[in-house]
Amino acid sequence: MAPAVLIIVGLRLWPLVLGVNFSFTGDGDRNGVLVGLDNYLTLFSDPLFLTALRNVGLLVLLLPVAVAIPGLLATFIYLRVPGHRLYRGVYFFPAVLSPVIVGAIFNLLLAFDGPLNALLGGMGIGPVDWLGDPDVAIFAVVGVHVWGTFGMALVVFLAGFATLDSSLLDAAKVDGASLPQTIWHVIVPSLSRTIQFVFVTTMIGMLTSMFGLIYVMTGGGPEGSTYLPEFYVWIQQGRMNQPALASAASTALFLIMLVVGLAQIGILRRAGKED
Amino acid sequence: MSGTRLTRWVVAIPMAALALATIYPLVFTTNVAMKTRREYVLDRFSPADSPSWANIVKAWTSVGMSKYFLNSVIVVTCSVALLLLLGSMAGFALGRLRFRGSSTLFLAMLAALFIPFQVIMVPLARIMADTGLIDTYPGLILAYVAQFLPFTIFLLTSYYSTVPPEIVDAARIDGNTVYGVYWRIMLPIGAPALLSVGVLNALFCWNDVLISLLMMPSAENRTLMVGVTSLRGQYSDDIPTFASGVLIAAIPVLVVYLFLQRQIADGVTAGSTKG
Repeated sequence: MAPAVLIIVGLRLWPLVLGVNFSFTGDGDRNGVLVGLDNYLTLFSDPLFLTALRNVGLLVLLLPVAVAIPGLLATFIYLRVPGHRLYRGVYFFPAVLSPVIVGAIFNLLLAFDGPLNALLGGMGIGPVDWLGDPDVAIFAVVGVHVWGTFGMALVVFLAGFATLDSSLLDAAKVDGASLPQTIWHVIVPSLSRTIQFVFVTTMIGMLTSMFGLIYVMTGGGPEGSTYLPEFYVWIQQGRMNQPALASAASTALFLIMLVVGLAQIGILRRAGKED
Repeated sequence: MSGTRLTRWVVAIPMAALALATIYPLVFTTNVAMKTRREYVLDRFSPADSPSWANIVKAWTSVGMSKYFLNSVIVVTCSVALLLLLGSMAGFALGRLRFRGSSTLFLAMLAALFIPFQVIMVPLARIMADTGLIDTYPGLILAYVAQFLPFTIFLLTSYYSTVPPEIVDAARIDGNTVYGVYWRIMLPIGAPALLSVGVLNALFCWNDVLISLLMMPSAENRTLMVGVTSLRGQYSDDIPTFASGVLIAAIPVLVVYLFLQRQIADGVTAGSTKG
């Protein structure tokens, strides 16, 4: 017990305090000197960090899609579409692969002369520069992230379905409810806790586990368009050797996560009450 | 609702397409790894004329994947062993023994669970540098243990709190010390949970790239995932060798998945149903 506490306090909680502290000190010549909010001012005037923040906004907008896809798939698997047993195993597989592997594979697939463009070309759709066009690349990376993680949420949804009272579904069937009606009025309210959990974990996943993908697929480019806060922290720390600025960015990331987490729980709780 | 056979089949078609989209990227990569460079340039999609292991052998020997593989195996094995040892002790203590302050400690663990690595990575890197642990196996192992211990403790605590207290009492009456109870009773009872948590932690550590990138700067200490990312730059004109490297990193995960899918899913969903 004691060593576990020591490790967690020493290497998790203490660094958090240290990091916030760091973020108020200077880099380089001003190492260790208190500089107040200078790092935060630098941060919010850095176009790369602003892009990273804008991309976080985009992730929040895309979040409902990233939750709805596994939710719908889990519904169909629960309702036993043909082959449902197989799908569970197949869909879950990418979720256990490293983002590095996923990113590396999609580097090949999304190459300008790669399979996806060949497939689209066959249907008469012109080649898209998936990873080279600043307007497209972030969507490509988020798309691959969803490909790589929807299985995780799917399994969580299926565990939620296992607790669902099947007599409710039978009642809906007797009343002649359509599939969308059943999903909206029966399944969504009964699984609200599961849905809430998936929302929060998916958002956390988007904010903290896309580093590997960005690192392998785009390196933050083209033109810095695929930066996310976590990637910015790593670049400032690992490449630019500006730990104080990196600390400020990571403190900002932590605040974003707190706000997003609390806001989502708040919204979903209110939505839950109205039902 | 979904009662009609027709609806089920209509849904089944996109689902099958998605299943294909889940599998195809790996099939493509495997096929590419079996091709010669010339064959790849001429036609990337056709099945390899004479599938050969030459690229895999090359990636394993001359490119250095074997060294990276060994690094990963050492680090993952030690990390998981430590995580299970510390996690089960803490889980037993928090979940079954209950002592003064145990609920406060559990809350501290939960708080640590929500601190993402990106937020503490800058101070952590400095602590590791100050203590001389950076770029060493123990340093990386310690970083992994610190990262995944809160999650491990959380799951094992909720598992051990379901063990009937009578078992502990009976063992104490039989003259066992607390450590005796832990070794002779709690470890064997916890085996299914330990397996599940262990597999999940092994995947987390094996798949990680950010922590290892930060903790192991020198090339000969690279773990497998960092090794794969370095291949991308080096072998950008030799895609079959690159694909072979990706495959070497993915195969262990595939094997683990085939045998332990159930345990992985249990670990993933444990947090959602209890949380």
